[in-house]
Amino acid sequence: MNCLEFHRLVGAEPASTAPTVLAHRDECAACAGYQDEMRSMDRLLGKAMRIDVVPVSARAESDPARARRAAAPPRRWLAMAASLVAGVLVAATLWLSYPGPTLAAEVIGHVVSESDALESGQPLAAQAIAEVLEPSGVRLRPGVGTVTFAMRCVFEGRVVPHLVVQTAEGPVTVLLLAHRQVEEATRIEANGYSALVLPAPRGSIAIVGRDESRIDAIARRIFDDLDWET
Amino acid sequence: MIDGKDDKARRRRFAVLCEPLRPDLVRFAFWLARDRALAEDVVQEAMLRAWKALDSLDDSGRAKQWMLTIVRREHARTWERKRLEVTNVDSLIDSEADVLATEEDPAISEMREALFRLEDDYREPLLLQVMMGYTTDEIATEMGLSRGAVLTRLFRARQKLRAAMGGPAEEVP
Repeated sequence: MNCLEFHRLVGAEPASTAPTVLAHRDECAACAGYQDEMRSMDRLLGKAMRIDVVPVSARAESDPARARRAAAPPRRWLAMAASLVAGVLVAATLWLSYPGPTLAAEVIGHVVSESDALESGQPLAAQAIAEVLEPSGVRLRPGVGTVTFAMRCVFEGRVVPHLVVQTAEGPVTVLLLAHRQVEEATRIEANGYSALVLPAPRGSIAIVGRDESRIDAIARRIFDDLDWET
Repeated sequence: MIDGKDDKARRRRFAVLCEPLRPDLVRFAFWLARDRALAEDVVQEAMLRAWKALDSLDDSGRAKQWMLTIVRREHARTWERKRLEVTNVDSLIDSEADVLATEEDPAISEMREALFRLEDDYREPLLLQVMMGYTTDEIATEMGLSRGAVLTRLFRARQKLRAAMGGPAEEVP
């Protein structure tokens, strides 16, 4: 192998450790330096390619100026959401004896089929939770409870965040259904679970727990601790 | 009809094989499209296609290559469907400035800009090699090129980046 051949190969494959490449390195300091330079450039290239994968919708968080501009809409949403939840809770209380709608039933079906998720007791790191929520443009503020399961699951053919939050009332499942718009809150009790599906700033949110008498309060706490970036 | 047990196993398989690839797929799609929002759309659509076609993935060890092929096709489809205009690179860089900038090392931002300016034919094999860990032969298969053509593109890509970063550009062999 001569210097030209070495440059052609190493310029395309800097990591090459082919015997002919190694042999030429040993006898030509200039070519060895060239390979070192190419390898160094590849390390920089690798770092350059690893862009932050926070979704567009959540990018404002990393930019203080954007964050300030974006601050007002979520707060408005939270205020609206709080009002909404309050109204919903009254209505939901009146609906206890009504047959549950299909969506809530499907949500319970998902929780039953994913019952393993409820058994995990290990708290997840904030980063692991963020990686599940960020693609949906949602953040969970600390304080709602310990999150022991976070995964993006397929629900109705869509990939949606699925969390399990350990609360004082037991484990509660949260599904964020951005693809499902609901006009009003719906609830259902089935298979020993109580599910509440609420309108959210983006689609809807489903909250499923065992304690039907506390599901409204739990839903309100969880709803208040979620931020939907707008 | 898929019963509950099969459906659960299928979802687990998808979660294990496909979901962890999402961050790198978004990165790959971003560097292909040079548009962050488009990259997210492409990957989301690719994930749905992958979910529908999951049963066709016989070899779980090839999930990465399988997903990447779906992303490449989805990107090509999106490009064709939306008939995207080839915009001035400077305006692309301006619109994605917050993705390209980093406080970690100014050289990284400089390299990102150089990568943005690299022609598609050179950028893609470089992404497959450096970011996705593909061998030259795998790149050739994925892109439908000869091994020699891939080596030439990889060599030229690095020379262009080297020149953009202030180094000497070599004669193209």
